[in-house]
Amino acid sequence: MEQPDAAEDIVHPEVRAHINSLVSALGGVSADDDGQYQLGDDALEVLRDIKRWIRFYDEKTNRMDVARCLHQANLIEGDLLPILALWPENASDSKFKARIALASIEIMVPLTWPMEYDKERTTLNHYRHMPVLELAQVAYKRAIINFDGARILHSAVRTALPSMAIPIGDRTARDQGIIKLVLFFLRNMAMITPPPNVKYDGDESQISRSATIDAFSYQDIFLVLLTLASNMGEDFRTEDTTVMEIIYHLVKRVNVDHLFMNEQQLNKAKASELSDLMSKETSMLQSYSRKGSTRHNRFGAMIWVKREDGKMSSVSGPDALADSVTKNQKMDSTKSYRPPRRARKEDKDEKDLGPPAKLNARANNQLRSFVEDFLDSAFNPLFQHVRKTIDREAPYVMQYHRRQFFYLVSWFLEAERARRKSNNQSKKPNGEDVSSFNLVAAVLTQEMFITLTKSLHEAFEMKDWNELTAVMRCFTQILLTVQEMTESKSEDDQEIAENVLSRLFYEEATHDAIATIIRNYKTQNFDYLDAATELVHHFLRILEAYSKQNVDMQVRSRKRTRKKKKEANQAAGTEDNAEENDESGNDEEAAERISKERKFDFQKFALRFTPQGVVDAYVAFTKFYRELNDSQLKRAHRFFYRLAFRQEMSVMLFRVDIVHLMLNMIKGPEPLEKSSGMYKDWEELAKQILRKCVKKIEQRPELIVEMLFSKLQSTAFFLEYGYEKQTSEKK
Amino acid sequence: KPTDSGLGIDEEVSVQKRARVPNVKLDEDRLLSDAGIPRLRKRARNLKLKGKGHEFSDASRLLTFYQLWLDDLFPKAKFLDALAMVEKAGHKKRLVVARNEWINEGKPKHSTADDD
Repeated sequence: MEQPDAAEDIVHPEVRAHINSLVSALGGVSADDDGQYQLGDDALEVLRDIKRWIRFYDEKTNRMDVARCLHQANLIEGDLLPILALWPENASDSKFKARIALASIEIMVPLTWPMEYDKERTTLNHYRHMPVLELAQVAYKRAIINFDGARILHSAVRTALPSMAIPIGDRTARDQGIIKLVLFFLRNMAMITPPPNVKYDGDESQISRSATIDAFSYQDIFLVLLTLASNMGEDFRTEDTTVMEIIYHLVKRVNVDHLFMNEQQLNKAKASELSDLMSKETSMLQSYSRKGSTRHNRFGAMIWVKREDGKMSSVSGPDALADSVTKNQKMDSTKSYRPPRRARKEDKDEKDLGPPAKLNARANNQLRSFVEDFLDSAFNPLFQHVRKTIDREAPYVMQYHRRQFFYLVSWFLEAERARRKSNNQSKKPNGEDVSSFNLVAAVLTQEMFITLTKSLHEAFEMKDWNELTAVMRCFTQILLTVQEMTESKSEDDQEIAENVLSRLFYEEATHDAIATIIRNYKTQNFDYLDAATELVHHFLRILEAYSKQNVDMQVRSRKRTRKKKKEANQAAGTEDNAEENDESGNDEEAAERISKERKFDFQKFALRFTPQGVVDAYVAFTKFYRELNDSQLKRAHRFFYRLAFRQEMSVMLFRVDIVHLMLNMIKGPEPLEKSSGMYKDWEELAKQILRKCVKKIEQRPELIVEMLFSKLQSTAFFLEYGYEKQTSEKK
Repeated sequence: KPTDSGLGIDEEVSVQKRARVPNVKLDEDRLLSDAGIPRLRKRARNLKLKGKGHEFSDASRLLTFYQLWLDDLFPKAKFLDALAMVEKAGHKKRLVVARNEWINEGKPKHSTADDD
């Protein structure tokens, strides 16, 4: 290996000398034919020394010199992995080898520990070493999960097995530490990805998510995770967040819909994705070629635009002759002035979620079977336990654990719904006693709702947008699950769902919070906007459905509760049936009254989503129309439709930039694809809104000025109806 | 000038910084000036929209109308940028008052009588 010159070496030369001598004392490949690794005489002591170097030099003084020397000395791939391979399955009882293995893991964990750029603690050393070490970690991961000589992850778990076998009460602090250590090792392996700003020049497929999942499956790590998660709260307590972290890094950004397709469906989906993309590209190219000039670029046509007040302006290029829209656009696009903008704040958590994960078919199957097993056995114990841990603010909970918790809950709820759907499609005999809603019951409890709303408020107040995004997604998924429960066949499920919905319906604080979040959207990232609009969409939709529940449905539910009560009473042996019977006559009347009340309440609730801020958020969302998928487009469509035609507030949409957006979506230079499923709907909506707008302008000429500005509620009301709102009278 | 020998290099050059010409802004002053919203209102009388059946062409006519007005008022900014600036200025107190007046002009007479 080439050693840099001592004078130029960026680490202390003595440190390098020490580390190199330690690494060479550890052992080496024997010169014999078999090429077996030979341990050095004092290998265990050497390992401990290296550990001490890391702890007392690197960590104490906040340097990373030792880590860099160890990377350059090729410690992990050259020594530690062969050492772990020396500890085969059948030699598990060798105490010495087990200790060596443990000592190796103890070194690997700090070396693979995720690095963070924390502004307050980074020193010059960090900036010097971190870029190299980040790549080094990727190399470590590649070496560890692809090592041929032994199943390294499995060996790591084996070092912790004796400690795990002890009942929780008898475990010493050291046992706890070993379990944690191994879990952290797995977490690091799941977590390491190539740094986002660097092009990774190795073989991507050796460290991709697919490779990770493949390794986890082949080395039986999924079984370990399942065991730990399903025994959470009994044999394991403080490990909950770490297990959760591992799962989080395995499933984040995995597309749930693709996960539950079989191979044929997946191929079909991918093929249709490809053809979609290609048709998108052709339509894009077509729109360019339509605009493109038909002659060479020096043809040099020039036109004058006559304007009012006798002014002229000139535009060059033959394409400007074509029509007035292109001409105007050309006049606009030659301007080079940009209004001053505030720089975007750097988001330090952004790299956490990473790009969407692409899985190959093999990893897809492996992950699916893990997810199914997890839902069946481990979902409730793990997430219930984590929620309690978060609620009591246990000392080992980190800030990001809350975000991961909400993300995972929403991910698994979505997965559960996808699974149920695919089961229904394939008409599997569903003769189990346990309804699939019971499998996720732990996150539908009242306690969960309290945690959820509390986090919603807190994250909003602390301006932690990433966490708020996760909370909103979680909320959405819970709502969707509850809604599916109302359609379930089991009466118990229906009743639970109704209870949840009725609580949500009357909880004003939550309504306010959700309305405030969307109203105050400013410059958060797209993911946040997506989550916020999704939540509002489903919240409105579900509560509307609830408010519309017809009378006989309520009569039925009342009868059901009465029956229950009766049974309970009979069981208790009391007799007040006479009173019960009296009530049954009023059922219809009472139900009618309630359903009327609810309708009124819903109207009031929906009014919260008419202010300008909400409209602006949706407009900002719709501006991404070229990148939105059908369900996202539908969401925006429904909102505008509701606003304009159900709540009679179309005036809020009469603003020049919104008109510009609507027109551009349909007729602009970059319109929605005609082939897209939502094109027709949007065309109709834009048409209706624009027609209303023109009509209103003729009715009330003052709208010409107001179209430039955001309107206040009172102005909007006047423009809509032509008279002042009477404050005393309720509409 | 005393001599030509120094080619002018002996002359004192003023190094004092001259104040920069202030940036032109699209603010409420500009909007309330004659070239601003008053002109928009005047021009709007000549705006002819066709109504039902011509929704999209009407919309693009409307946009052209606004674009040309903004180009006269504040030529350096692009259309959408200028719109955002106007919208922002619309929250200023003076403009809010003016907007209310314009709306009141269009209201039926008796309501304005009540205000007085």
